[in-house]
Amino acid sequence: MNATEKRKSASAAAVLLWIYSCFTVFVLGYLLYNSFREKGDLLTNTLGKPKSLSFRAYVDLFAEQKFHLYFLNSLLILAATLLIVVALSSMVAYALGRYKFKFKNALQAYFLLGLMFPASLGVLPLFLLMKDLHLLNSYASVILVLSAGISMPVLLLTDFFAKMPGEIYESAVLDGASEWKTFYRIMFPLASPVVFSICIVMSVQIWNQFFMPLIFLQSDEKKTVPLIVMKYTSNLMLSMDKAMAASVVATLPILILFMIFSEKILDGVASGAVKG
Amino acid sequence: MSYIKKRPFLLFLLPGFLIYTLFVVYPIVAAASISFFRWNGIGPKTFVGLDNYIELFTSSELMSQFSNALLNSLKIFVLTVLIVIPVQIVSAYLIHNEVKGYKFFRAAVFSPQFISTPVVVFIFTLLLDANVGLFNKVLEWVGLGEYVRPWLGIPEYGIYIVWLMVSWSGMGVGMIFFLGAMKMISKESLEAGYLEGAGFWRRLFSIILPQIKVTILNMVLISYIVSMTIFDFSFILGGVSGGIDHNVDVMALMFYRIAFGESNNPLGGNISENAMGLGSTVACVLFLLIFFISMFQIWLTYRRREEGA
Repeated sequence: MNATEKRKSASAAAVLLWIYSCFTVFVLGYLLYNSFREKGDLLTNTLGKPKSLSFRAYVDLFAEQKFHLYFLNSLLILAATLLIVVALSSMVAYALGRYKFKFKNALQAYFLLGLMFPASLGVLPLFLLMKDLHLLNSYASVILVLSAGISMPVLLLTDFFAKMPGEIYESAVLDGASEWKTFYRIMFPLASPVVFSICIVMSVQIWNQFFMPLIFLQSDEKKTVPLIVMKYTSNLMLSMDKAMAASVVATLPILILFMIFSEKILDGVASGAVKG
Repeated sequence: MSYIKKRPFLLFLLPGFLIYTLFVVYPIVAAASISFFRWNGIGPKTFVGLDNYIELFTSSELMSQFSNALLNSLKIFVLTVLIVIPVQIVSAYLIHNEVKGYKFFRAAVFSPQFISTPVVVFIFTLLLDANVGLFNKVLEWVGLGEYVRPWLGIPEYGIYIVWLMVSWSGMGVGMIFFLGAMKMISKESLEAGYLEGAGFWRRLFSIILPQIKVTILNMVLISYIVSMTIFDFSFILGGVSGGIDHNVDVMALMFYRIAFGESNNPLGGNISENAMGLGSTVACVLFLLIFFISMFQIWLTYRRREEGA
């Protein structure tokens, strides 16, 4: 192969990537467009010219189906879980990164176990545990289970705290700050870029979490967005229009956030990869 | 008090340690212990030793479900390693070289990651459904009407469609992982390649690939763990039973079915009298399947590192 042929094969790969990306964009656009169509029109005249475009499915979704309540459920679980994860993991990571003590390496390895064993496999004992704690069918069950998954944030933050220059600690201690104050007034704010990327990566996992809410939240009014979307998509003849609108509502806000923060998010994921 | 004063890290460790131990580590240990009992979670709990494991591997019904689910999980894994990972590497490489529109690619390929599974399954239904599916209409439109199929209704295709959905939604994460690894490679080694006149693909194979070996191994392991524990796609597409004749069944779904019964409600339905015992047994077998492969992978990585040093 000569140089131009090589360049050609590189651009052939780029063209394929273009097609793939356009497919993704097209599919999302198709979803959005169809969410403005009537149910009957969708089912019988799938690709034809739409009879009418309206916000009816959305109105139904929020007025009749109270979709915003499920949105609030998801939001509550997301906010509480993030808060607990950040608090727990930054404290553990601070201890592991800042101090030297016996069994530190063993403890570090202990906190990594969670990376290897997905929580879904321990769900039977978790289910029994929640039953004993009388937490079945409560937001707290899902929040606790999800917040316990601190392995990845601990790994990233430990590395960050361990690499911080010692002078920062020493000057804080000289100023008479207590250990706790040093942590939350000085060290934690310094870690905020790392915390931010952890939050982003975890938000997606928590927002789209399907398994744990499915197991622990049985009553309809406690369900999260993915579970409710599934309710509509599992019977398309009945609720095709709502399925479209619900899918859009479940997807669009998070995609818009991604577009705004995409640089930071992608960097965050990439830095997680290098450590993992 | 003075003991803790001298060891301030204990207070920092404690809350995280407790929550993590109770909700992550304890369930693993407890599952292992429950697997030695015959138990439905409420009634009497009798110690039966390895009977649950023996039952799982000798009962023809359970064994056929198990081997079918394992085979399906492995199919997803093998296809991912053979097709998805190479595609991820090449797209990361293209983006790394900042081909035209690379920012758009990066965002577009990554964005399905943000779409929750029910929506992904719904999107694929819109594409592949027999009646409202776009794909069939496109086939008719370009004159390939003879290939029109009820794609989602053919049992043999089920697991490959699950794989397509998994790949589409997960493509971006792996790509970003590889991109991150490529960014760590020193500029000098790349420039040396340039000066030697190595072409676009040559540089990928002889300079980049050897240096991201560890990332590739990690991604293979992650793909393995994901395919062993993937649940949502098969559950949403095929329900608790995993589709027609368990055609989209995977390991985690089989575990769910045995533990929580065939009904869609985890609390109700026809839970067998040994649901907890046998369910935990399946979970433990899955644990072991993941554990040994992970150990093997860690051993492989360390061996390479020592060789390199």
